[in-house]
Amino acid sequence: MIEILQWSTLAICALVAAARIPSTLRGENRSLFGIFSLMTLAILLSIQGPYVVIDQAMGGMNLANLLLRFVIFGAIFFLGIRISRGFGADSAHRLITGKAGTVVLIAVSVVMVALFFMMDTSGSSAGLVAISGKDARHFALVEYYGAAGRAYPAYVALALLPSMVRAVRDRLPVLVRIAAALLALGGIAVALTLLFPVIPPSLGSIEFIINYTAILCFVIGLALIWAARVVNGRSAARRRTSTET
Amino acid sequence: MTLSAKAFQRWLQSIAPDASTADVCRISGIKRTTLAQQLVRGKVSVSTVVSISRAYNINPVAALAGFDAYRVLAGPTRPPTRNELVSQISTADLLRALLARPAMDPVHGAAAPALTPAPHATSVKNWVDAIDDGEVRHRVSAATGVAPQNYSAQLTANRLSPELAVATALAAGVGPAGGLVATGVITEEEAGWPPEARQAALDSLSDGELTALAGERLQSLGKVLRRQEQDQAQTEKIWENLG
Repeated sequence: MIEILQWSTLAICALVAAARIPSTLRGENRSLFGIFSLMTLAILLSIQGPYVVIDQAMGGMNLANLLLRFVIFGAIFFLGIRISRGFGADSAHRLITGKAGTVVLIAVSVVMVALFFMMDTSGSSAGLVAISGKDARHFALVEYYGAAGRAYPAYVALALLPSMVRAVRDRLPVLVRIAAALLALGGIAVALTLLFPVIPPSLGSIEFIINYTAILCFVIGLALIWAARVVNGRSAARRRTSTET
Repeated sequence: MTLSAKAFQRWLQSIAPDASTADVCRISGIKRTTLAQQLVRGKVSVSTVVSISRAYNINPVAALAGFDAYRVLAGPTRPPTRNELVSQISTADLLRALLARPAMDPVHGAAAPALTPAPHATSVKNWVDAIDDGEVRHRVSAATGVAPQNYSAQLTANRLSPELAVATALAAGVGPAGGLVATGVITEEEAGWPPEARQAALDSLSDGELTALAGERLQSLGKVLRRQEQDQAQTEKIWENLG
């Protein structure tokens, strides 16, 4: 079940990234292609099989997990910039690119890297599951490390959330409003990841579902905005030709 | 409100006793699937009755008056008020008339071209504004159970269901068919409005009244256009950044 979710999310994300290649070559919103590529890479790194292959190539000490965290940070940072600019959310834009955003990003990164190197991370294991099982100290360190990794995405998601909710109620094209609703849902899912420490281990699959819901909502939401633009471009072209004839 | 299929069938029997449904559709230009669907659901739309009435040379208002929900349309027609008549003149026509007034342009003062027939782009909202004493919306909402915000949304979209159009006319104490003209369900002539009545109403406006009215229309048109431009700019920005 989880495997299907993971691989289909990967497929959707890779597909959207590939579909962006032509417009990227034309120079339209190149950073969107970057965001989709980073997200695809992040999903790839969160699946056991590809993770082990990549991590072995990087020395087998779970550096790939650290890389994954920074890939997510990068994706969410650029995503936050594009979305806050597009939806005219100036306060969110300031929160992400301003002093507060920089401080949060640096603090979280420093803590995360420090925690990572406090652990004995030998032995590739997606999600550091094997590392966490070593002893009580490692269990706690992995928990803190994970919490630090979720803190920055949650910060950006919460900054964006109000403007997304507002956009759903605005007089915008229907597809754009649906997209805003999906982005808001993704933001809520990312914010919910902060609650992972209180979820009992028996309900561990909920964490996967929340994570992948967030990614799917973001990817599909962004793809919908793009689709809305294409649809609008077509109908505008048709209007032009119909008035000419 | 839609009309019950049963009552519709009875009415159809009375005006075209031996016409099949297919005949009726052909003569009145209604799509067969549309009518079939309405009959299956048991709800026939007002516009169906209007189309069939026209095809059989029956006054649509008289035809509608035969149905329970629209009984108020029966009886002698009440002439429209001057405000109603003027509300059914398009903004463009009003402005042309204004420009032709000597007060605006003493040199030219040429006759303005003939008025375009009702309805126009803001005819529904203008009609309600023309008959509103300030409380009409509340009374309609109380009488029909339609929430005020839904009512306003219809007016903004220049729409009003036939049921609400009639209810609004009743609540305002004007002729019951006026709203059907404003929403384009029936023509002025079918509603019994005298020919040239709108032109006469327009001519009876003093230069001052006409100018003030045109100003009001322009102001609300400006508001609508500005809002559309803002929405458009917002959408463009989203596409520019995320499309």
